[in-house]
Amino acid sequence: MVLAGIVLVLFFATMAGLFYYRETINKIGEVKEEAYNEYPRLYAYIADDPESQLSGRIYKEISEYAVQNNCFVEMTGQGLSTSYSKADRINIAISSKVDGIIIEGDDSEETKNLINKATRKGIPVVTVLSDSAGSSRKSFVGLNNYSLGTEYGNELAAIGKETNTYPLNVLILLDRDDGNSDDIIHSAIQQAVLGKSIILYSEVVDTSTPFTAQEDVMNILDDLSKKRQMPDVIICLNDRTTESAIQCIVEKNLVGKTTILGYYDSDTIKKAIDRGSVYATFAIETKTLASHCIKALNEYNNTGFVSEYSAASYILINRSNISQYDQEGDENEG
Amino acid sequence: MKANFFANMKISRKLVAVFLVTSVIAMGVNIFIYFNLNKALEKINSVFASNVSLNELSDNLNRIHTGLTGYLETKGTDDLQVYYSATQSMNGLMNGLNNTVTDNSIKLSERDIRNMLETYLKTADEAILAKRGRNIDEYTAKYNECSKIKDYLNTYIYSVNNEQFRTNSENYMALVNSLQYTEVMSILIFAVASVMNILLIIILTNTITRPLTRLSAKAEEISQGSPENVEPLEVISEDEVGKVTRAFNEMLASIKDYIARIRTQLITQSEMKEKNLLMETHLKDAQLKYLQSQINPHFLFNTLNAGAQLAMMEGADRTVEYIRNMADFFRYNVKKSSETVKLSEEIELVDSYMYILNVRYSGEILFEKEIDEKLLNVMVPSMIIQPLVENSIKYGIKDLEPGEGKVTLAVYREDDMCCIRVSDNGIGTDEEIIEKIMNHEKQPSETRGVGITNVMARLDLYYNNKEVFEMKSRKNEGTHVTIKIPLEEANV
Repeated sequence: MVLAGIVLVLFFATMAGLFYYRETINKIGEVKEEAYNEYPRLYAYIADDPESQLSGRIYKEISEYAVQNNCFVEMTGQGLSTSYSKADRINIAISSKVDGIIIEGDDSEETKNLINKATRKGIPVVTVLSDSAGSSRKSFVGLNNYSLGTEYGNELAAIGKETNTYPLNVLILLDRDDGNSDDIIHSAIQQAVLGKSIILYSEVVDTSTPFTAQEDVMNILDDLSKKRQMPDVIICLNDRTTESAIQCIVEKNLVGKTTILGYYDSDTIKKAIDRGSVYATFAIETKTLASHCIKALNEYNNTGFVSEYSAASYILINRSNISQYDQEGDENEG
Repeated sequence: MKANFFANMKISRKLVAVFLVTSVIAMGVNIFIYFNLNKALEKINSVFASNVSLNELSDNLNRIHTGLTGYLETKGTDDLQVYYSATQSMNGLMNGLNNTVTDNSIKLSERDIRNMLETYLKTADEAILAKRGRNIDEYTAKYNECSKIKDYLNTYIYSVNNEQFRTNSENYMALVNSLQYTEVMSILIFAVASVMNILLIIILTNTITRPLTRLSAKAEEISQGSPENVEPLEVISEDEVGKVTRAFNEMLASIKDYIARIRTQLITQSEMKEKNLLMETHLKDAQLKYLQSQINPHFLFNTLNAGAQLAMMEGADRTVEYIRNMADFFRYNVKKSSETVKLSEEIELVDSYMYILNVRYSGEILFEKEIDEKLLNVMVPSMIIQPLVENSIKYGIKDLEPGEGKVTLAVYREDDMCCIRVSDNGIGTDEEIIEKIMNHEKQPSETRGVGITNVMARLDLYYNNKEVFEMKSRKNEGTHVTIKIPLEEANV
């Protein structure tokens, strides 16, 4: 009787085991299909330097805003085994028949031609940050560079007043590929510091590849050092240039002697503000920028018309407001 | 029900059933695990299917491009054929690619690949058209564009392939790990099933061997003696063992029956012997007492004969009659020593006795007979009536006035009984004495002569204690003694 009971238990154990075995086998084959959403429109975002923090930030904001507005943005050329040039990436976007392209414009003919090609193929193009003037782009979402220049001028005046250094030697590091936006800033600064005993001189930094910026900045500073013309303030008009300049100042032990007016609000830059090597920096209102881009494309796609220009502004970050700025940033991200 | 079914099967079938059941279980578990394992292996094989199809896509694209290049270079029809056939299969392959905008990077890349392929094919067609129109600049430009797109496509395919390979490899590793887990599981299941099979074999073979063991134990018990105390075996199954058990039980029952019969026979025999011995003893006792109380009958008989002859010679007829009667009386006693006799002979003896007594008492005793003639041949033990008559005379009517005493002998039939009644009209017998006599408490020595007790004892023995003797009396109204002889035992 006991044996029969044991046999019964074993029988059920075997059956349960077999059932569980089959379930396990069935389960192991199931490749979990990740849940995904579908969107009616796909836009391509083509940055000058897809690896830069600014591009990353803008892409993130654009993506978020796009998803909220029922479309999707891909950063064309990202995640591929080959790094493609901007022209190639535009070509890829055109070939893959996206519904719109958001591109950091420049003055090159190639870019203009590609924008025109996209337009021919019925793909609207919106330039962002810098324009490709003369192309058939539908809209330009820019930054108020003139007011940025004025702000830089105001900050220079403040530094002069604070340090009581007159004349104040200021080096402006211009971006080689940045079209005319740097020129506008430059001239705005010039205008702003007129008659304030501030000497401006500028150098051009090659930012075409990720590695050249830092070397260029170092070379420029080395040259100035040799000439014993180290500037009191360095104005950087690019995030990578700003970080390179911070690094050079630290390396050359110039903290306290030379300060920086930066561009963008990366962690490195914010830390540098905290430590005093950067006097202040201007962060782009990326959210506004991103929303303008998506709105422009959606508007064009929906109506066939869109205003040619819209602008986002800058936010000044210095030691007095950095903690508040960080808090807001955290809240936004949270 | 099933257990009974199994129990009633033949042993050979039982063994086959045990073998089959365990084999089927083992085989079932094996097949189940084998099929599921196969399924898992198929799944593992299909893990890299997406890579294979992407590679196919890439190969096909290269074929199209080779065909296109060849055609544009030499306008070769073979190249064009290659181009068209590859394009056709490409269209099929393209249908398998995602076509929607999603936030899944692989799916999105698939969409890009699909659209780029469409652009590529469109541009390639335009190039071929331009070639046919011999517009060198246009088809060169289109070809260059195709080359570029092909380059992008290969990069995209390669990247997606890589991405998928990474995902697939993760899946593959997960599958392989799961497979190892299922391996352990299958071993466990095998082990459990094997233990179950072993137990099943033990149980089933036990059901076959248990009745045999019980049977052999019973046989051992019987061989140790006293089979009458051995209980029969319960028949559990209807197989060969069941049949043997049943036969064994029957054999045991017949042994027990045989022993019982022998025992009863022995008891009956010994009882018979004992009875005969007692009968002889009583008869001899009666005869001894008789001989002791009377004169040696042989001597007396001879003497009486001499007396009768003497009386005849002297012409004394009544004396002759008297002496003859006496001689008959004693002759009877000599002759009928131990046998059963006819009732008529007993009555003759009583007649002789009464004649003698009437001569002795000068005809004072009145003797009457009421005899059913049909019963005269009934066989009865000898010497049963005369003692009763003698008793009636001695104790019943002896104190009556001469000529008043009367003894009646009646023989009649009552149902299946032959009744012999001796009655007198004497003083009667006390109830106390009757009770004593009926309960055999009165010893023969207390009665003179051959007494009632002796007659009763012999009748009891002869008729197996059946109540054949009856004695009734009332004060001064005489005593009636009846002997009821069952006719079926009377050897009429």
